[in-house]
Amino acid sequence: MLLTCPNCKTKNFLDPYPFWNFKGTTKCAGCAKIWRIETSSGACVKGPDAADGQPDLLPGFAEKQDYSPISGPGLTRPAPRARKDAVCKPIPIQRNIRGNAVSGRPLKKEDLIGSRPKFIAGRK
Amino acid sequence: MAKDTASATQKQSFEEFCHQAFDPTKEFSKPEALKGVRVLSCTQYILGPSCASYLAELGAEVIKIEAPRRGEAMRHTTPFNEPFLYPLSRWVPERGTGLGFLGANPNEYFISVDFHRPEGQAIVKKLAAKSDVMVENYRPGTFDRWGIGYRQMKEINPRLVYCWLGGFGGWGPGRVRASYDILGQSQGGNFGMTGKQEFLGGAPSKHTIWLADYWGGMMGAVQILAALYWRDKVSGEGTFTEYSQVHGVTRQLEYALPLYGRHGITRQRWGNWDTQLCVHGIIKCGKSSYPGSENPQESEEGYILISAYTDEDFARLCKVVGDVKMAEKYAKTENRVKAQSQMEIYPWLEKWAADKTKEQVAEIMDKANINNQPVWNAKEVANHPHWVQRGAVRWLDDPTFGELLHQGPAYKMSATPPRLKWALKPVGADNELILGKLAGLSTEELRRLEEQECI
Amino acid sequence: MDTPKVPSWPAIPIAKPEEVYAGLSDQAKDYPLYLESITRQEKNFEKPEALALLRVLDCTTSMMIGHWCSSQLSELGAEVIQVEPPGGDPLRKLTPFGRKEYMFKDKESGEEVGGQFLHEMRNKLSVTLNLETEEGREILKKLVVHSDVVIENGTPGQWDAWGIGYRQLREINPRLIYCWVGQRGQWGPLKDKPGMLEPTAQAACGFVHGTGDPKEFGGQPTRSALWMADHVGGTSAAMGILAAVLYRNNVSGEGQFIEATSAEAIIRILDYSWAWYSMDGSIRPRYGNWDLAINIYAVNPCKDGYMMVGGGHDRLWYRIWRTVGDEQPAVEEDILGDLHLRDVTERLAHDMQVKTYTMLGEWLKDNPRSEAERKLSKQQVASGGVLYVNEVAEYPHFKYRGHVAECDSPHYGKILYGTTPFLQHKTPGRLKWLGRPVGYDNEDVYRRLLGFNRDDFARLSQTGVTHEEEEEEEL
Repeated sequence: MLLTCPNCKTKNFLDPYPFWNFKGTTKCAGCAKIWRIETSSGACVKGPDAADGQPDLLPGFAEKQDYSPISGPGLTRPAPRARKDAVCKPIPIQRNIRGNAVSGRPLKKEDLIGSRPKFIAGRK
Repeated sequence: MAKDTASATQKQSFEEFCHQAFDPTKEFSKPEALKGVRVLSCTQYILGPSCASYLAELGAEVIKIEAPRRGEAMRHTTPFNEPFLYPLSRWVPERGTGLGFLGANPNEYFISVDFHRPEGQAIVKKLAAKSDVMVENYRPGTFDRWGIGYRQMKEINPRLVYCWLGGFGGWGPGRVRASYDILGQSQGGNFGMTGKQEFLGGAPSKHTIWLADYWGGMMGAVQILAALYWRDKVSGEGTFTEYSQVHGVTRQLEYALPLYGRHGITRQRWGNWDTQLCVHGIIKCGKSSYPGSENPQESEEGYILISAYTDEDFARLCKVVGDVKMAEKYAKTENRVKAQSQMEIYPWLEKWAADKTKEQVAEIMDKANINNQPVWNAKEVANHPHWVQRGAVRWLDDPTFGELLHQGPAYKMSATPPRLKWALKPVGADNELILGKLAGLSTEELRRLEEQECI
Repeated sequence: MDTPKVPSWPAIPIAKPEEVYAGLSDQAKDYPLYLESITRQEKNFEKPEALALLRVLDCTTSMMIGHWCSSQLSELGAEVIQVEPPGGDPLRKLTPFGRKEYMFKDKESGEEVGGQFLHEMRNKLSVTLNLETEEGREILKKLVVHSDVVIENGTPGQWDAWGIGYRQLREINPRLIYCWVGQRGQWGPLKDKPGMLEPTAQAACGFVHGTGDPKEFGGQPTRSALWMADHVGGTSAAMGILAAVLYRNNVSGEGQFIEATSAEAIIRILDYSWAWYSMDGSIRPRYGNWDLAINIYAVNPCKDGYMMVGGGHDRLWYRIWRTVGDEQPAVEEDILGDLHLRDVTERLAHDMQVKTYTMLGEWLKDNPRSEAERKLSKQQVASGGVLYVNEVAEYPHFKYRGHVAECDSPHYGKILYGTTPFLQHKTPGRLKWLGRPVGYDNEDVYRRLLGFNRDDFARLSQTGVTHEEEEEEEL
């Protein structure tokens, strides 16, 4: 369910699985206001009404009206992560976990022999 | 040295014998089962590609044909947009192939041809004329329209085994529907049965991996091998096979269809427990095995399968847990396996395991001779000496992309083991080799077609 | 309590070709009708069987991987002799929640069999043989002379110790393909760790850890409802067996030793789990019904259940939002205006997936599965609802193609079952019969292959080689 904050217009994305049938409070990731809502089959049937206290469940993600993202500890629920330092964008990798060469970073034409990276094809 | 090797072999322990027969480090000293079989793989995503790749593991020469430059769609998929293997192709070195492509295309030759153009279609025909198998998973009728479908190819090469794989099959009311793995799972029936129980607030769950695709590819390969057997041993003729992945999923619903047909009862989700046996379920152990780890996959609680469904095993389990009342109450199989009983038994076990790690529970169970299996994560599997020794997961020195961990073949053969040669190659990496060898294209023609982005 | 009356299947009649292809031009009809003419299952018995020359002894018991493997071969025409211990495979006794009334009863003897075992006993002959007796093993050796393939799942080294392992049987029949199947393997550090039944293998290979909702969504590792790893392992074993048969026939003239495990079959298909870990230490997390590597590609709740919508590339992405925009223009406008969602791979970030599916939910909440599918299909978007078994059984497309069918067993009456997906032009897979009572084919197999006479049968049943001794004593 999309909860546009009545206070600050932040778009709070209340992701479908936990919020499809939900009764409780959530916190706007933009202005920290607590809202009580009740949803049924994905639709908001009651609220949002201003409330107090600790939120029951944080949004999955949020963004401002200009699409700038808001997420992080205390604002949105943590993402499932494969590593501590997951970044969700391409990361350059040149060495694998045991320190050997692996071709995991962008290349230029001059880095290649045929279709193979030189530093792999040419290594001893 | 033993004087008599035959008797020495007999004296060898069975485990040593097996280790030697299936030694993953000796694969390359043995012949390949499908040497001399040529397979044309006109496939994308996972279902079709994986089918051809199982044949490539067995030694078939598999030629994978992709769209020029950027290749097929699966190259652009990778978990959370993080890891890529570069280059995507020699024309696009600044981009990479996502790991979603990995595992579905090992050992293959990669060429790029534009199927839409007559010149491209002519190349495919030349290749099919010299192939034993063609695997294809475009929408039904597309290749027929382009003049490179079964009806045309069987005239060019009557020995060709033409294998089409897809979601819903090429005929019937749903023939035009597109499909992917989870759609096959959703509509085939295994999705709705998997996941936490309804009364515990659970939802249906997909099977991770693209299971209906990867397993469907195996089903396609089985069908192809059977067709080759018939061709080579009996008829000399090829054939057309059609594999619908949603059909495959419906085939594997165990007792669900017989039960529905006889009693009108719809099989429901039963979470991590088993509908037919008790105790035979996965329980939560309250403590993490790696409390200090900053990786959330390691800091979460552990889980373990406990399997004590015979009366004797259950009695021992109760002794371990120290509960005489449960031992008496549920002494008999027919009492334990009831739904209501299971709802009492598993929470009881989880309460007992609340202050233990999965390893601690496993150790206690092992000592009491009770079957168990900790739920291992990818790192635990990759490093487990059992899987490492058997080559199930192995380090691969890939000629293009460097050193990667990679899965070994699904099964082992003593005389003609399937094997892993390389994980994948960039788009069009083998254009010169394959098109020169099999389509007779000169260097000049290759260059012209390349400039026109026809290859 | 009266048992409610169960409607006969199909409740709704199967469509006719005229209805299915109504309104199409001859050109549009041409290809599907051609395919239908060469692959329809009704024509199976006009065609030969691919593996008709192959004889397989399936000696596995108490485990599904072997039965699954041999059914793939029996569907394709191999003569599969299911060798069971006297009294039958213990799996015959399994039934949901222990309910005897859900079992299938042999009309003649009243003997019961559970639906799961029955569903895999396709086209197989059932013989009984007690391999724990010396004489039973001698009989097995005689059967092996006549067989191309033997499949077994004894504890590691058991058959070897009995003198009927690969090392011994290859002396009797050098052309024999000998396949051992199991959960984790017959050699290696875990060889003696017990556990015969799934989900043992699922848990041991990383599958369970990776399936289900992540902890962050309130979820936990989840097993497949099915004994899934046995299914995948069984298919992979069949693949190895057929490759070995081809090599024997075309090249070597000799059989070989094969080993297939349920866990390794799944390890093989756990796609990028291993490479990802090796590149940067990532441990594949669960991601519920969403996908780590493709967006849009997920199942989410909708008005009347759960709905799959998939479109991994740009063309489909925009078609999906156009469909949504027909009813919710603001949603489409928001998505199209978001620069973070322009690039296929950037959509894979977790935050972007949350946004995508929350916004899609704004449309799905108003649409039941059939409506959502109808609207998205018009745009050629792969989509469909999560179906439950009752819906699968009645789904028009599946009924028309025969994915589900009813067979009339001479022993058990009418049984609804999932048909073989091995559709083919020349040598399709098929069902000849489904299920046999324990030892039903003893007479046929032992007479035909080994020349047993009535004295032999009497002796063997008395000495516990083909029948349980206790039963004899009780009489």
